[in-house]
Amino acid sequence: MHAMVIDDSRAMRLILRRIVTQLGFEVHEAGNGREAMETLESLDEVPKVALIDWNMPEMNGLEFVTAVRADERFRQMTLMMVTTESEHGQIVRALAAGAHEYVIKPFTPDAITEKLALMGLVPSGTTS
Amino acid sequence: MALTTQEFAFVSGLVRREAAIVLDTGKEYLVEARLLPLSRRAGTDSVSAFVARAQRERALAEQIVDALTTNETSWMRDREPFTALTDVVLPEMRAQRSPAHRLRVWSAACSSGQEPYGLSMLLEDAGMPYEIHATDISSEMLERAKAGRYSQLEVNRGLPVPLLVKYFHRAGTEWEVSEALRRKITFQKLNLAAPLPSAQPFDVVFLRNVLIYFDIETKRAVLRGIRRLMRPDGWLFLGAAETTIGIDDGFDRVVAGRASAYRPRAAAGAPVNAMGRG
Amino acid sequence: MTSPTLEDLQTITEQVWQSYLDPEGLNPLLTVPEDALPSDVAASISVSGPWDGHVVITCSHEASRQAASALLGIEAGEVTGDDVADAVGELVNVIGGNVKSLLPDGCLLSLPHVITGGQPQSSKYPSAVEVCRLQGVWQSEPIAVSVWASKAA
Repeated sequence: MHAMVIDDSRAMRLILRRIVTQLGFEVHEAGNGREAMETLESLDEVPKVALIDWNMPEMNGLEFVTAVRADERFRQMTLMMVTTESEHGQIVRALAAGAHEYVIKPFTPDAITEKLALMGLVPSGTTS
Repeated sequence: MALTTQEFAFVSGLVRREAAIVLDTGKEYLVEARLLPLSRRAGTDSVSAFVARAQRERALAEQIVDALTTNETSWMRDREPFTALTDVVLPEMRAQRSPAHRLRVWSAACSSGQEPYGLSMLLEDAGMPYEIHATDISSEMLERAKAGRYSQLEVNRGLPVPLLVKYFHRAGTEWEVSEALRRKITFQKLNLAAPLPSAQPFDVVFLRNVLIYFDIETKRAVLRGIRRLMRPDGWLFLGAAETTIGIDDGFDRVVAGRASAYRPRAAAGAPVNAMGRG
Repeated sequence: MTSPTLEDLQTITEQVWQSYLDPEGLNPLLTVPEDALPSDVAASISVSGPWDGHVVITCSHEASRQAASALLGIEAGEVTGDDVADAVGELVNVIGGNVKSLLPDGCLLSLPHVITGGQPQSSKYPSAVEVCRLQGVWQSEPIAVSVWASKAA
C-alpha cells in the first residue's frame, strides 16, 4: 500500500512519514503540489491516500486537490488535508474542492490513525 | 512515596481495559507525576492513598484514566455500536414504531459529551424524531458536556470532517456544538450504582466502559436497574470489553452489524425478535 | 479590530507542545514573568489581509536544538542548522495558522522565515506593535511566542 505525504516542511513530512509507515504504508514524499503531481505520474501504483498540507510554494494543497480530482486516473485516491488552516470556511472550501478528510495541525499521532480508520484505510482499533 | 507494585498494577490494568493503553513497568514515575495533582485535589495524603480510594470510587478511577490518556476522548473510538445504531436499530425502529414516535436514547455515562453529541449527529442525519438523556456521575464532566465546547485537539480525534463542518462552529480557539443538537439533549447527574429514578422507558441505552469499574454485585444491580428502564424491545450497547453474560441473565446477546447488543429477554414463550443469538 | 489574547496564545502553544514537543506531559512550557531572555533564534510568519501582523517565536540556541530533537526524533547532539530551521519554522507555521483562525475571515498566511544568528529580535517590526507575548522556559531554556499587529490595522 502506498501513501503520499505532501508538505513543504521536512520536519512535518518526517512526523507524518513515521506515523503512516507504522501503519504499513510505503511512503512517498513531495515538498509541494507540483512535485506531488510529478511523483504521481512516475509511480506504477496509485497511492491509497495522500496527506496534503495547504500552504506550500509553487502549487498549494487546494490546487493539488483540484488537479487530482479532475484526473480520472486518481479517482481511487483518498485525499486528506493536514494543515494549520482551521477556519470553518476553509475546511468547507477544501471539501468542496474534493478533499475527503481533514486533520488540523497540531495533531497527535492517534488523530491521523483514527481518520485513516474512519475511511477504512487501516483497521479500526489500531490506535494505542 | 513510590507506588507499590499492586497499586501500579491496578492503574495499568485500569487504563488497559478502559483506554487500551499499555503502561509498562518503569512508567511508575509517569503515573505518579500525572496522579499527584489529582491526589491533591481529592485531599488524599499521597498518590498511594488516592489509588487506594480509586479502587472503590469510580469517579476517581475515571479521573485516573483521563489523566493518563492525554485528555482527549475520540469521538468514534469503538465505532461499531454507532454503526449498528444506524444500520440495524434505526431501520427496525422505523418499521415497528409509528413515524411520530420519538426515539428515546440514554447515554448513561456521557463523560465529556462526545457520546451523546455523536449519537445526536447520527440521529439528526437519519431524520428521526429523538431525544437524548445524558447522565454522568461527575458534576465536572457534566458541566463540560453541557458546554459542548471542544478543543482543536479533541475535534481532530475520530470525528468525520463532514460532521464537524455540519454541526460545529468555531468559538475562539475551540469548537462549539450547534444549538440544534444541544436542544435535543438533557443532562443530569446520576450515580448508576445507586437506585435509579423512574423514567419513561428508553429505546436505546449506551452504557459503555462503566461496568468495568464495578464489582460483580454492583454490575448485576446496575444492569437490572437499567433493564427496568428499557422498553421490552429496546437495545443496550456496552463497551467492547463488557458483557451481561454471567452477570444478569435478563438480557439476550444479539448480533447487530459488527457489534454485540443486549436486549431484554422476553418472558418464556414470547421471544422478542432477536437478530440471532450469539 | 479584535486581536488574539494571551489566553488564546497559551491554549494554542499548549496544544503544540502536547502534540509535538511534550506528548507525555513531562516537560511543559512554563510561563515566566522575566523579559529580555536570550533569543538567538527567531522564526516568524506573517498574516495579511483584513488583519496584518506577525507571529514570532524567539528562543535560545539550546532550546531550538531541543525542539528540533523532539520534533524530528533525533539526538540533540546530531541536530544540524537545517534541522533547527525546519523545526522552528514548522512550529511558527502551526502556531501562526492557529492564530490566523482567530482573526477575521480572508486572512492569508505567509511561509515561515527563520533567522538563526545575531540578535534577531531587536526592532524586528518597526511598524508593528506587540499584541501579546508568552514568555516561557522549556527544559530550562527560554522560549517566547509573540503576536504583533501592524500599526495601520
